[in-house]
Amino acid sequence: MSDSDRLAPLSVTGLHKSYGHHAVLADLNLSVEPGSFVCIVGPSGAGKTTLLRCLSGLLAPTSGSVRYGDRPVNQPLAEIAVVFQDYRGSLLPWMRVRDNVAFPLEGRGVSRSARRARADECLAAVGLPGVGDKYPWQLSGGMQQRVAIARGLAYDAAVLLMDEPFGSVDAQARFDLEDLVLRLRRDLGITVIVVTHDIDEAVYLGDRVIVLGGQPATVIDNLTVDLGQDRDQIHTRALPRFAELRTRVLTRIRGGAAAPDPAPPAQLDVSRT
Amino acid sequence: MSRTFLVSALNQLWLPVLVIVLLWVGTAGSTNFYFPPFGDMVGAMGANLAHGGLLEDLWFSLKNILAGLGLAIVVGVLAGLIIGEHRRLRESLGPVLDFARATPTVAFVPVIILTLGIGATPKIFLIFLGSLWPILLNTISGVEGINPAVLETARSYRIPWQLRLRRVILPGATPQIVAGVRVALSVAVVLMVVSEIYGSPVGLGNFILRSGSSFAVTDTWGGTLLIGLLGYGLSVVLLAVEHVLLGWYFQRPPRVRRNTQGLALLEREALTR
Ligand SMILES: Nc1ncnc2c1ncn2[C@@H]1O[C@H](COP(=O)(O)OP(=O)(O)O)[C@@H](O)[C@H]1O
Ligand SMILES: [Mg+2]
Repeated sequence: MSDSDRLAPLSVTGLHKSYGHHAVLADLNLSVEPGSFVCIVGPSGAGKTTLLRCLSGLLAPTSGSVRYGDRPVNQPLAEIAVVFQDYRGSLLPWMRVRDNVAFPLEGRGVSRSARRARADECLAAVGLPGVGDKYPWQLSGGMQQRVAIARGLAYDAAVLLMDEPFGSVDAQARFDLEDLVLRLRRDLGITVIVVTHDIDEAVYLGDRVIVLGGQPATVIDNLTVDLGQDRDQIHTRALPRFAELRTRVLTRIRGGAAAPDPAPPAQLDVSRT
Repeated sequence: MSRTFLVSALNQLWLPVLVIVLLWVGTAGSTNFYFPPFGDMVGAMGANLAHGGLLEDLWFSLKNILAGLGLAIVVGVLAGLIIGEHRRLRESLGPVLDFARATPTVAFVPVIILTLGIGATPKIFLIFLGSLWPILLNTISGVEGINPAVLETARSYRIPWQLRLRRVILPGATPQIVAGVRVALSVAVVLMVVSEIYGSPVGLGNFILRSGSSFAVTDTWGGTLLIGLLGYGLSVVLLAVEHVLLGWYFQRPPRVRRNTQGLALLEREALTR
């Protein structure tokens, strides 16, 4: 497959998704350019996981379409790797960490030694050298999520889709994981799409933040994060521009107009669950 | 490590040893025709094994139970994996399986002997038939009980079906399959004895019948003891296999282990057959 096929925009047009009579997503449009880092933010229950499953080809839209380049995403593609919200459930407890990471390659017929080398390489890339022989349940939550990311890397996809990837790890591990993902994006040039309910996280990570809102949910805002490529947990989060952006997202989520109030309630974060 | 092992081994051994000693000493002076001294029973077992033809009976029984149980494991697990994977198939087979489970296999003994005669075949078939249901039903519910996050992971990483069956579905269902085999083993021992009591020239069941009807009560007790030992020996072997196969399952912290109450229920139900 040529590189131009591999690197392509992921686009959603007129997406509707209902579970029975319960409409979750309606008339949703978005497009993600290759190499960009996009955060999709919305409150819990908004339909973020539903959207992510549609993006990954795991779930068929009720109507509308998801396309990768000019191909329809109607089943999981080799170009898209998913890191799930429930990392405990998504790592196989009967396989050692290395086998978990290499498992997608086994399906591609990669030789045993090549799989092993690739898994160790990816584990090192996420800062976990030397845990290959352990079982996932012997690791902390943050480390398990790193293993899940390593598996996504081993899959060698052009797009990494992540569903609230750091939602259930402690604050310090969360900061480390955020910086890890930023670094991987920069080093590997992959496209990253992170779905989250955490506004600060969305602004800190993304080149672009897409805000979901409404019942059923649709895109209610789409803003460019002009904080540059080099982000830093301490300084970036302290920038006035950071506060402006997060205020705008928060205001939109709470139903306000696109232009934020000049004096925002800076510490409020209702979206945390 | 070795110290705790020693303590645990001693802790498990003291009661059986005590019971044997009490039986041995307590019944030593027995003159009751029907309850000879325990020491005599053990002696009779030894003597019959050495030169009374009991070894042939044991070998015959052991071969049948291993063949029947082995066949049931192969057929039950394969069929269970296939049925468990297909919801439609599961639904339409449900009533039939429930009926089959509710019919005690012992009721088939006369018919099977009539149709298959008195060689080893009808016995193996009977043991197979009785052991099949707990293994099949447990495999099906083991497959059904696999964490949906695991299945979603396999799908999103495009794991081909053979690999998925071998590395995801089978290991995921193994804790319950093993519980099914444990139940099947106790059913199989019962059927082994019963099948040899009805129309058989050899086997442990036949040995106790033969010696019983010729009033060699001590020999009968010896044979009964050997049946108990056979059943116990097989369950010890099974336990060892279980620990090899399910190391990951037993070592995991309890909070992440799947609730096994359902298994205990199934097991009790099967034992009351
Ligand atoms: N498989 C499903 N069947 C029916 N309803 C579902 C299903 N999955 C999610 N929902 C519903 O869709 C809505 C959005 O869920 P979800 O996409 O998980 O939201 P989020 O990830 O933003 O918290 C919720 O109201 C949820 O109850
Ligand atoms: Mg979700």
